[in-house]
Amino acid sequence: MKLAGVDVGGTFTDVIVVDTESRRVRIHKVPSTPDDPSRGLIEGLTAAGPEAGEVDFLVHGTTIATNSLLQHDGARVGMITTRGFRDILHIARHQRPLHYSIQMEVPWQDRALIRRRDRKVVTERMGPRGEVITPLDEQEVATAARELREAGVESIVIGFINSYRNPEHEERARSIVEEVAPEAFVTTSASLFPQFREYERFTSAAINGFVGLRVRRYLRRLVERMREAGMHAELRLMRSNGGVATAEFAARYPATLLLSGPAAGVLAGAHVGHACGRHHLITLDMGGTSADLGIVTERGIVEATARDTFVAGYPVLIPMIDVHSVGAGGGSVAYVDPGGAFRVGPRSAGARPGPACYGLGGSEPTVTDANLVLGRLRADHFLGGEMKVEPALAQRAVGELGARLGLSTLEAAAGIVTLVDHHMANAIRSRTIQKGHDPRHFTLVAFGGAGPLHAAAVARLLGVPEVIVPRYPGITSAMGLLSGDLKYDLIQNEFMLDTEADLERLDADFRRLDAEARSQLRRDGVAEVDIRIRHAADCRYLGQGYELRVPMPEGHLDAGSIRRLREEFNRLHREEYGHAFPDNPIELVNIRVVATGRLPRMPELPPPAGSGTPAPIDRAGVHFARDGGLETHATAFYERMRLPVGTRLEGPAVLLQADSTVVVPPGAGAEVLPSGDLLIQV
Amino acid sequence: MTHAAPVVDVIEYERGRPPARPIDPVTARVIAGALDSIALEVGHKLTRMSYSSIIRESEDFGVALLDAQGRQICECALSTPLQLGPIPGYLRGILRLFEERGDRFEEGDVVIHNSPYHGASHGPDVGFCVPVFHRGDLVGFSFTTAHHLDIGSMTPGSCGIVDAVDAYAEGLQFKAIKCYERGRRNEAVWRLLRDNVRASDMVVGDMEAQVAACHIGAQRYLELLERHGRETVEAATEELMNYSERMLRREIERLPDGTYSAEGHIDGFADDPDPSRRDQLIKVTVTVEGDTLTVDLTGTAPQVPDRAINMPFVGTVDVAIYVTLRSILLDQATHEHVPQNSGLVRPIRILAERGSLANPTFPCATIARFCPGNIVADTLMAALAPICPDRVAAGTANMKVIAYSGVVDQRYWVYMDITEGAYGGRLGRDGVDAVDVLYANTRNNPIEDIEAHYPLRVTRYELRTDRSGAGRWRGGMGSIRDMQFQERAHMSLEGDGHRHPPRGAFGGYDGTPGDVVLIERDGTELHLPSKFQSRWAEAGDVIRTVSPCAAGYGDPLERDPQQVLDDVLDEFISLESARTLYGVVIDAASKTVDEVATRELRAAMSEQASVGSE
Repeated sequence: MKLAGVDVGGTFTDVIVVDTESRRVRIHKVPSTPDDPSRGLIEGLTAAGPEAGEVDFLVHGTTIATNSLLQHDGARVGMITTRGFRDILHIARHQRPLHYSIQMEVPWQDRALIRRRDRKVVTERMGPRGEVITPLDEQEVATAARELREAGVESIVIGFINSYRNPEHEERARSIVEEVAPEAFVTTSASLFPQFREYERFTSAAINGFVGLRVRRYLRRLVERMREAGMHAELRLMRSNGGVATAEFAARYPATLLLSGPAAGVLAGAHVGHACGRHHLITLDMGGTSADLGIVTERGIVEATARDTFVAGYPVLIPMIDVHSVGAGGGSVAYVDPGGAFRVGPRSAGARPGPACYGLGGSEPTVTDANLVLGRLRADHFLGGEMKVEPALAQRAVGELGARLGLSTLEAAAGIVTLVDHHMANAIRSRTIQKGHDPRHFTLVAFGGAGPLHAAAVARLLGVPEVIVPRYPGITSAMGLLSGDLKYDLIQNEFMLDTEADLERLDADFRRLDAEARSQLRRDGVAEVDIRIRHAADCRYLGQGYELRVPMPEGHLDAGSIRRLREEFNRLHREEYGHAFPDNPIELVNIRVVATGRLPRMPELPPPAGSGTPAPIDRAGVHFARDGGLETHATAFYERMRLPVGTRLEGPAVLLQADSTVVVPPGAGAEVLPSGDLLIQV
Repeated sequence: MTHAAPVVDVIEYERGRPPARPIDPVTARVIAGALDSIALEVGHKLTRMSYSSIIRESEDFGVALLDAQGRQICECALSTPLQLGPIPGYLRGILRLFEERGDRFEEGDVVIHNSPYHGASHGPDVGFCVPVFHRGDLVGFSFTTAHHLDIGSMTPGSCGIVDAVDAYAEGLQFKAIKCYERGRRNEAVWRLLRDNVRASDMVVGDMEAQVAACHIGAQRYLELLERHGRETVEAATEELMNYSERMLRREIERLPDGTYSAEGHIDGFADDPDPSRRDQLIKVTVTVEGDTLTVDLTGTAPQVPDRAINMPFVGTVDVAIYVTLRSILLDQATHEHVPQNSGLVRPIRILAERGSLANPTFPCATIARFCPGNIVADTLMAALAPICPDRVAAGTANMKVIAYSGVVDQRYWVYMDITEGAYGGRLGRDGVDAVDVLYANTRNNPIEDIEAHYPLRVTRYELRTDRSGAGRWRGGMGSIRDMQFQERAHMSLEGDGHRHPPRGAFGGYDGTPGDVVLIERDGTELHLPSKFQSRWAEAGDVIRTVSPCAAGYGDPLERDPQQVLDDVLDEFISLESARTLYGVVIDAASKTVDEVATRELRAAMSEQASVGSE
């Protein structure tokens, strides 16, 4: 069987094609084609090798939904909502996005996803227990849909108060809208994710409606192009929850694709770590503009809590991997601000003008320039020698910055690297120590073009003992696409006290969600043996506003299950917040079912081809920051791909490869693992 | 008749001095980043552990770390400014009380404090303080504040206690009380507390969450000291405060020297027969002198001796001023991120006459000081408008807070609902609609959360259209929120802005005052003043809060007709207003601007205006 993973990013489209029988891997990188990303995808796939036409499964990571939202380029969306609540999307949570500002922009008002003229109200009302207070006026729905259609609205969102408890009115309205405006893209808020909090749920639905048509058109075009190119692969999409979905499902719920690319990165890091026998992982994907962080524990990849996820300033109430993006990349700009403070990022020089050393007119020093000045990046080996850079320009830019700070050029360069390393370390601390995870028990998996340059230093700041650098750091995310399963998250609100738990109702609700999930997976062609179902409950102490997810047994519930739920919740609360209130009653807010269908995945790769005794290709002085000072070490440079399995190196060493550079600092050691991945003991 | 000269109190701070030992710029930034991250963690955990919606949803809490001298070195970016600004004042109050009693901090102590005459913002904002000891030395403090649902006032809830006659009627007063002493829980204090507040499970749960959060902050600060060494951290925090001070002084220096003033009014008690309790004046005079700015409130109305709208000088008035100046001069949308710490207060002097609304004397009640504080902020912005027209907004719409409560099975439920104001128009931008304003920045509570947990139903929550001040940049719209009682329940309200509209700027029109209407089951409508304490409502009654709408900025006849058309299409304004206020003629059928008719109408209107002004 042949699998392909294609990750389309802003700059590059990364392709990996794997033959699961021969274990042959082909990787390829081509420039992305933002006007129509499917073109670059087909080009990359074709260029990767002659087997493109034989690929059986194509898993795709895409930024199409994200870009549509970030660039505010989407459908004209209309909304049908409960009478009296026309402006929920406009008032939002009535909180300013900035505390200390008069001139602020307010995304949900200045860049409304649905303008007020396209928000219609109808008579209907559900109560907080799902009871009908006012029946739906179907005539009004039909009139609203007709008006929206006539106004040129192409996408219609239906969002009613309390629909998370009872979606009947939304569903009925959907069928009326589909009759009146059959060509419209329709989203109901509860079908996307039935969670309470109307602003967040309506906004998530509005995002779905906003990006929906673009995603649908893109997927149609992609399928067409594949057909033209003679490809018959089944198309799957990576979703924000780290699961894969069919193209048809993704086209209905495109808002679940917002973190498609970053999710694949975390999945890849998890895959590489697990293959090396590690189960507590921090994944660090550092590229040109930002670094994406993910956490993996023995319970799996950590998911974001429903209320912590924002994209382009809008809340997204949909299950997602907790990918934390930090404005720290190779292109992050270093500068002195008007108060005299030394800063790095989050502003990035991007690809143009890019770092000063690119010679494209950038005069401000970036992280890449600093690495060049310190001797860790080599001018003769930039992007595998394919790109020319000018060290003198980096020297000048960093030197000028240093002069303003009273630092030498080298000190300034080391300062830039130190600040960017601390920036990432702080972000990791907030995801580990602050959540009760001790980083000393974790392994850092570092990839992306810049990750392997900084990983060992970041690990040291955190007390993380080891770093794994995957074999192909530059296309690791594409590999991650081939390590996911089909995955569906289902949820049912309960608002039930543990002391008054209605076991029959819980059992019945779990059974219903299980059946729904199974039938979806069967529709996707998954065999019964490949289906896995997990149960959980979102709990909080009665009165709290934030829930923690507690695993629950599959199968029949009894009093013991509730007692164990209590104990586990208290334990998790203590782990997460450092404190528990064991005497307080617990509220079961939601139950959840996570259903996965196993997909064919990335096989173990054959060991790298290198053999013999590794010889450095060069030795040169490289500068390292240490204990606030600066040390210069004679450092060996190796070509990574020539190092055979089992090679052990002592730091300082620099390993060069086509799409990345690995730094092994003084005092650290490195070893090439049988998988071809590199293990650094920091 | 002779008057004794009024005593004027001054709040001022010394200029920062360079750190005792130099700190390199890299380490300084590393420690600054770590401090931000600590404060964020503590705030994050406090909101997640806490019980009442006022903390977890509205985010009405504060988190800060202070150094051994009681200066704030960092704050949590999540919490509301009004909770953060006062923290150093709370600590000074505690230290003053300790000194009076000969008490001192010991390792393991936790201090509870809420006295508005000792730095607290007002009684319900209860502060908890944990001293941080490093190798036996007191090196700093981890502090949290939060608005509590109830502190045992004369009527349920902790807002709308407008009729409190003195500080005792407001509820429990904690004056630097050790609720933990050397690590041992002082059970008597907690029992007393539990027995004297309503909805005590929630209130005490929130207080325990505050204590737990303080400990996390203390622990993280200690880890930071261990990682970098105490001297380095202290040098870095000194530099960090100097940095913030430098940034603000730099902006003040750019303003033209001189004296600028403005006046504002609060409703006071609109239905009170005593005129001295109505329409009080707030007077702000700003003097810019080099890199220092003085805000003088002399001329502000006298304190109201037996009502609760007096504003603590330290804790409310100073915070309103600091937050407003910072928002105007170091606007986060247009400036580098400047850490909020004690360096930012150094360039600012504040003066107020003792015995005035802005500097009351004990035991005047202060619990309902929130809305007057916003008028201080708004009036300060108006005073600065002529010298920084590109940084201010036209007159702001004030807010309202309602406490709902009832008794079920002999236990109280209390819910506080914060409704929104709006910002006036700005140079190049319309005002922000339906938002928390000026010195607070809370969040509303989801309707679905309210309905699932209280016998209340929201039946309308929409923009208040066609009432904001016209201008080249329109004032922000307020909201209309209808709350229907599902059972007999109790309510108290504090708000302002029913009698004095937000004022237009640079030719923009004034906004529109707000309203509160009780709509009884039989449809009878009763208009209520902007403050009332303790009213019963029956099942089926609806209380409607109508926000003021904010003021316009610039001449409405200069507004882009296309924007006026958009406003009509979105039903933000009516066709009628487009014509009469903006001089824009719109063809309703084709939904387009009639350009010729608009030009003519605008010419006629501006001629009339110039005739009128002669």
